[in-house]
Amino acid sequence: MNPIEDSFSLGSGERKKILALALSRGGEFAEIFSEYRLYNFINMEEDIIKETGESVSLGLGIRVISGEKTGYGYTNDLSFEAIRTTALTAAAIADSGRTAVLPRFRRVRGRRDIYPALWPAHRASLESKIALVRRAYAACRKAGSRIRKVKVLFHDQIQYMSIAHSEGRTAEDERPQIRLVCTAIAEKNGKREFGFSGGGGRVGLEYFERTMTPEAIGREAGEEALRLLEAVDAPAGEMPVVLAPGHAGVLVHEAVGHLLEADFNRKRTSIFWDKLGRRVGSPLLTIYDDPTRPSFRGSYSVDDEGTPPVKTLLIDRGIVRSFLQDRLSARIMGLPLTGHGRRQDFTCIPIPRMSNTYVDRGEDDPEEILRSVGKGIYAERFEGGQVEDTGKFTFSISAGHLIEEGRLTAPIKQATLIGTSIDILQKIERVGCDLQFGLQTGTCSKEGQDVPVTDGCPTIKISRMTVGGRK
Amino acid sequence: MRGRVQENSLQEMAVGFVDFGRSCGADEVEISLVEGREFNVNVRLGEIENLVEAASRSLALRVIKDRKTAQASTSDLTAETVRRLIRNAVKRAQLASRDDCSGLPPAAAERMDKPSLNLYDPEIASLDATRKIKLAQETERIALDDTRITNSHGASFISNEDTIVLANSAGFLGSYDQTFCSLSVGLQAGGTNDLVEDEWTSVVRHFRDLETPETVAGKAVERTLRQLHPRKIKTQSVPVIFEPEMTHWLLGFLFACVSGVAVYRKATFLAERLGMAIGGKNITVIDDGLIPGRLGSRPFDSEGVPCRKTIVVENGILRRFLCGSYAGRKLKQPSTGNAEGNGVSPNNFSLSPGAATPEEIIASTKKALLLTRTIGHGLNPVTGDFSRGAYGLWVEGGEIAYPVCEVTVSGNLEPLLHQIEAVGNDLDIRTPVCGPTIKIGELTVAGA
Repeated sequence: MNPIEDSFSLGSGERKKILALALSRGGEFAEIFSEYRLYNFINMEEDIIKETGESVSLGLGIRVISGEKTGYGYTNDLSFEAIRTTALTAAAIADSGRTAVLPRFRRVRGRRDIYPALWPAHRASLESKIALVRRAYAACRKAGSRIRKVKVLFHDQIQYMSIAHSEGRTAEDERPQIRLVCTAIAEKNGKREFGFSGGGGRVGLEYFERTMTPEAIGREAGEEALRLLEAVDAPAGEMPVVLAPGHAGVLVHEAVGHLLEADFNRKRTSIFWDKLGRRVGSPLLTIYDDPTRPSFRGSYSVDDEGTPPVKTLLIDRGIVRSFLQDRLSARIMGLPLTGHGRRQDFTCIPIPRMSNTYVDRGEDDPEEILRSVGKGIYAERFEGGQVEDTGKFTFSISAGHLIEEGRLTAPIKQATLIGTSIDILQKIERVGCDLQFGLQTGTCSKEGQDVPVTDGCPTIKISRMTVGGRK
Repeated sequence: MRGRVQENSLQEMAVGFVDFGRSCGADEVEISLVEGREFNVNVRLGEIENLVEAASRSLALRVIKDRKTAQASTSDLTAETVRRLIRNAVKRAQLASRDDCSGLPPAAAERMDKPSLNLYDPEIASLDATRKIKLAQETERIALDDTRITNSHGASFISNEDTIVLANSAGFLGSYDQTFCSLSVGLQAGGTNDLVEDEWTSVVRHFRDLETPETVAGKAVERTLRQLHPRKIKTQSVPVIFEPEMTHWLLGFLFACVSGVAVYRKATFLAERLGMAIGGKNITVIDDGLIPGRLGSRPFDSEGVPCRKTIVVENGILRRFLCGSYAGRKLKQPSTGNAEGNGVSPNNFSLSPGAATPEEIIASTKKALLLTRTIGHGLNPVTGDFSRGAYGLWVEGGEIAYPVCEVTVSGNLEPLLHQIEAVGNDLDIRTPVCGPTIKIGELTVAGA
């Protein structure tokens, strides 16, 4: 059974009729994106299962491209008449009136090893998921007597999507996603601190037995909150910064990834637009974006334009090698597709996005990297960042340590770090051999669209960066 | 009046589903429906980039049985799907825990006089697409006429019309129509090595209140150019003046700290401070859902509690946390009409203006960072700590000296609220959460 066909009852003949209508004003490219998404959540707080929820998202979006212009319409009324109106709305972006000839549809085959869910969450009972939530909650409570409040959220979803476009391709995907997160509040002498942990990805519930247990998630959140009770203010000013392996991948997401998204480069708003083939960073720095990593939150077997994705080398030993492409940007720039056209849901136009972005492993011993720092900070946990096309970027650490005389000393509280992309890339002095990925819980926002992503990196030393602490 | 027929048929649909939920065994049922129309055009370098037009509907529901709650939502409004979701929710509610704070708010007659709230502008529905596109094109063209502007992120015009319907088994049935429209442009100036950017957006409920293309373009140009050729300053503790757009984020942070949900979760440093002085006497913060025509106004909140005016901080004293009925029961206080889905949201949440003009505040300052923009996250309601990437203008001897970039501002909201030395008279009501220019005694600015 294909739930998309069940929900839309659009056969190949009807899809052709709709695409022909979409091109009736002279557009060059038209596409139908259909989506059916089922979503469940469980919320536990105050020691009780406070509520559970279920969501259905069903709809279809029609896109027409004419030159560099895009017309878009969407509907969740799935009568043929409403879909026809949507096609005509999108069609209006073009204004010639030439008749389109549609080729036969051929199905794009995506990779089949991306979502190895043995025990799919959307088919599991709610009781079994509530049991996972309770386990995480109890483990967090047990982290210490100073844990004052705990909250655990579980989400699972299955997204069925199907695409048909006027160049004669169709593609389908069936994407699972789960996420279990725990937040903890610890209190001591009237002061409170907050801890967070979580896990998930495009996996089934076996993940919580094999990869990361609910107990580990709960305990980590609790321990982070407890550790922060003892933390001192972060320092303020320029200093060496060592990024811990894993979570610190958010630095490359902000400092490099966004700036290499093709739309900002064809518009020449990104500082990287003229840097293809040129050196921008330290020769120690190699960065990939890979949508094909099995189980990962940011992965997919075809992108939201029906393109099979490829592991994309962005920075090769300091030199820019490619941009992250969607169909429109690739065509305008005359560059190959990379399969990075993504959209939040059927109401959105696809744009170039990251998936799983990481700095490749280097050769240095992480211990030795730490020993090379006299006074600086060790950045361990992150709560996100932001970048502008000018290259100015920030990322915020939620936990870390001071480095004094090559050793980790006091834990530090949150602080935001700020820098300029190319300047910081050149200040990467050491890259460790210990590549890790961050939590499988991240979401990236761009132009109001949220998509799941991950990032990763080995231990990295930046010779100087501005740390926004208070001392 | 727009969509009278539609609004009635949506009301009938909502009431029908409430009855269905009761017949499935739910003790209490709440159904909310939103029907919307969206128009969104982006133009860049004179040409249309994207044009989106669509209509959509969505439904959200909540059922309570034996004081146990289940929720659902859908964009598929076929009776078959909605009924299935209701039946599932009634069954699923048994798996939640009994929660004595759960439940619908007590029945309230919808007493608000909707027309006087003035949330709907029929002119927006009748604007034709060509006019909307022209407004965006005109805005960008005026901005690009300034030869110091080197690139454009594009200009956009967005309009939305929504109908909101809420029905519940306690007898509440209410609905209202609302509109929004916005005009914005984002710009760059400088070359690859000294690129700067900024934008300006005008967003209003009534088309006649929308800033003109000249105004939007002029502000975006001015904001972009004033950042050219910045300096990085030394790390120091220094007074910081917040422009109204910056007071906006500070107030957003304060809202997160006075949210009743954060209070019962102990996720705010203000949880135990009700009735205590949390700021100077010059700090009064009000949430008001009933100001005619404003973006944050609505006749009732997401569970049908009439909106009202709530004094949150009065001359520095914390008077009230903002709650829906759930957080209200947890805190043993009535709902303030701030429910939004599972949480709370501000209505019009603002810092009351003072007497000084922003010019006077700057002129009376020997040395300060005038904060104009921040980027990134770095707000922690649990501790009150904040640390954000910042852009600004250096103030020296009462005058603006030069732009500053690549610094951070950090501090804690608790001492900050006691150190507000001046509150301006320039309350900027463009956004629902807002405040005037303020001057803070001292914050840490990290730079070189």
